[in-house]
Amino acid sequence: MGSYITKRLMLSIPLILIISFVTFAFIHLSPMDPAEVVLHSQGIPTITDELLAQTRAKLGMDQPFLTRYLNWVASCLQLDFGDSYITGKPVWSMLGPAFLHTVKLTLVSSFAIVALSVVLGVVCALNAGKWVDKSVRGVSFFLTSMPSYWLAALLIWYFSVKLDLLPTSGMESYKSYILPVVVITISYAGIYFRIIRSSMLSNMNEDYVLYARACGLPEKRITMHILRNSLQVAISVFCMAIPIILGSTVVVENIFAWPGLGTLSVKSILSRDFPIIQAYVLVLAVAFILFNTVSDIINAALKPQIRDGF
Amino acid sequence: MTRNMGFLLKTFMVSIVLLVGCSNGDTEKTKSADTGKEIVYATSKDINDMNPHFYSGSMPAQGMVYESLVENTEEGIKPSLAESWEVSEDGKVYTFHLRKNVTFHDGELFNAEAVKQNIEAVQSNASKHSWIKLSTKIVACNVLDEYTVELVLSEPYYPTLVELSMTRPYVFISPKNFVNGGTKDGVSGYNGTGPYKLTEHKVDQYAVFEANENYWGGAPRVKKITAKVLPAGETTFLALQKGEVNFVFTDDRGANSLDVEAMNQFVESGEHQMIRSQPMNTGIVVANSSKSESAVHEKAVREAFWHAIDRETISKQIFDGTEQVAYTLFSSNVNYANVELQKRGYDLEKAKKILEEAGWVIGSAGEFRTKNGKPLAMKLYYDVNSSTQKTQAELIQNTVKRIGVQLEIIGEESSSIANRRSTGDYDLLFNQTWGLAYDPQSTIAAFTSKSSYYHTTRGIAQAEELYRKIEEVMVSTNEEHRKSLYADILTIVHNEAVFIPITNGRVTILAPKNLQGISFKQTQFELPFERMYFE
Repeated sequence: MGSYITKRLMLSIPLILIISFVTFAFIHLSPMDPAEVVLHSQGIPTITDELLAQTRAKLGMDQPFLTRYLNWVASCLQLDFGDSYITGKPVWSMLGPAFLHTVKLTLVSSFAIVALSVVLGVVCALNAGKWVDKSVRGVSFFLTSMPSYWLAALLIWYFSVKLDLLPTSGMESYKSYILPVVVITISYAGIYFRIIRSSMLSNMNEDYVLYARACGLPEKRITMHILRNSLQVAISVFCMAIPIILGSTVVVENIFAWPGLGTLSVKSILSRDFPIIQAYVLVLAVAFILFNTVSDIINAALKPQIRDGF
Repeated sequence: MTRNMGFLLKTFMVSIVLLVGCSNGDTEKTKSADTGKEIVYATSKDINDMNPHFYSGSMPAQGMVYESLVENTEEGIKPSLAESWEVSEDGKVYTFHLRKNVTFHDGELFNAEAVKQNIEAVQSNASKHSWIKLSTKIVACNVLDEYTVELVLSEPYYPTLVELSMTRPYVFISPKNFVNGGTKDGVSGYNGTGPYKLTEHKVDQYAVFEANENYWGGAPRVKKITAKVLPAGETTFLALQKGEVNFVFTDDRGANSLDVEAMNQFVESGEHQMIRSQPMNTGIVVANSSKSESAVHEKAVREAFWHAIDRETISKQIFDGTEQVAYTLFSSNVNYANVELQKRGYDLEKAKKILEEAGWVIGSAGEFRTKNGKPLAMKLYYDVNSSTQKTQAELIQNTVKRIGVQLEIIGEESSSIANRRSTGDYDLLFNQTWGLAYDPQSTIAAFTSKSSYYHTTRGIAQAEELYRKIEEVMVSTNEEHRKSLYADILTIVHNEAVFIPITNGRVTILAPKNLQGISFKQTQFELPFERMYFE
């Protein structure tokens, strides 16, 4: 098991390097002159050639591409992602808090998604084909297909404006979490509960269930066994859900004025704040690789064939 | 395994509780917006870096905190931090007598030394400020006594006082906030002399400004102003309905977070009022005269395009009558802009005639005109974040089609459009003049600037003459001569149809009905919050 984990982790290092190179190369392939971007984003109304040359030198744009890339990687390893073009502040001082805000939202939402998916998945599997199953699947299908910005606006209108129970936006108290979490949960739980439901259904036909029944085990305990086996399949899916949500909260953050990664990344993309975009892509890539590895490790722990076959 | 999973689950739950617990417990900070004592305004962007000698901060916010020596008003230049001033005979030396007993928000005294240090801080970063021509003319700033300071210029420059009155960069921050003896490496605090001080700032969430009780012009009556970041227009609408915010206004890029219809809805509900300023700027389509491979290079095409824009419909339908039709680059209330120019209205027949005469004919092949086998096709770029530009572009696309012009409309981010403008990679794009305090001198100075309208003006027949006159007008000391030069400049660009006016933009405010004293400054970038009060 230990060697498997080491191998998986070692494999992720070249992957991160490739991602970092592609990100860096793509951004520098863009036809925009970073010096001009810096000056535009600082709101300087008129840009002179002298100012451009000065800014290029300051950004190190006069060095060859590879040197710039290696310098960037070297400083990234020390958690120094450079300075933002717009604010001039260190990238990490902007990305850090935004990352933390999104992580909070993501973790609370993931918990809600797991809880709701398990409950709905079990209820539907136990009542497969009955009206409960059909109606839950119907309603969830309807809700999942709703665009999240629309759902968010509806919820704000009803719970914040009409009933005056919750704040419309912002991140001021625990109440601020409720609406964004509900929106994210509705968008994702509809997908994940189906995974649990179908895996429960396939497990129900396994021999061990028949054997357990034959041994006279109570139905409750049999259900627990089925659930445990079904969850093993779902766990890797849930692990991957975390980075997916982390990278896709843009719409929800925008509507709820949540100062997280989504808001920051969109803002940086619109203003072409390259150092932040690079760091954002890198952080998300690392999150994906990390959670992917964790889910592989969990799978390997559950099914020895996987780690033996590696 | 079950035990392990249970452990994982428990760790997960504990971490969530801890993380959520980390968020501060300020409950419903903004809920008091409707108590009628404070203003909470919605803004799509954070106030950003409030260093007054940089350009990334929010201008309305900087306008509350910092002040300049003089103020630009409807009646002309008025005293602000300087009580009076004299200009030397040769127009090169300005002597300012400063207001006494003015302190910065940190208690530091505002005096001649502070003025000198601030002006030198700006000048030490001169390349960033070269757009404001004054920065290239200042030679020295000398302290004559505690409250008298003189500004020495290399040559007479008539817009000196106007440029000193702008929101930035010639405004004053406590020298105690300087870093490394200046402001170009950042500042350690944001202490100005203005009516409000910044007391709290949560990046991308909100910023709180509290009344400066020691303000030299008397303590403001609205004691607290909060700028709440709401990136989405839908949320702004809902937050206004709930009362979490109670004030919205046209932002410094000329965009409104709410459309006219939504604002009207609030006014009809009886709890809000809508107030509009006088015309502040002109919404224009800029034509790239220097792009020789495009049809827009031809004056006749630009003129025909001008005639093919249905401004009445744009004003009535798209702006719901809130913006008035513009036939000239600057509205006549702008200094030096009251010039007699030929009016080009919406006239499709005339547009067709102009194109026919220029050799653009509709062939048997299709509905679009061609000349020597080249089709009459152009691209118009608009800002995707503006709710009205796209609609205007679609309307224009539709009307020019009727005169046989194929117009492709492309929405892009504002920074990308700015980039196109400076590299000349466009046929036509939406833009606006810089606003009352900057018009005409700064907008006209930008005709010659590579990052602004150089490509727009470069291709016209009288380009050299135009540039010479622009250079001359900026240093001219004779008022009559200056007037005639401006008239010549405006006539040239008008005749060449490179700046195609559409409507006159205004600043719109939606405020609680009991808020009185709402007025405007001579700029679309600031609001005089200190004059407002609740009834």
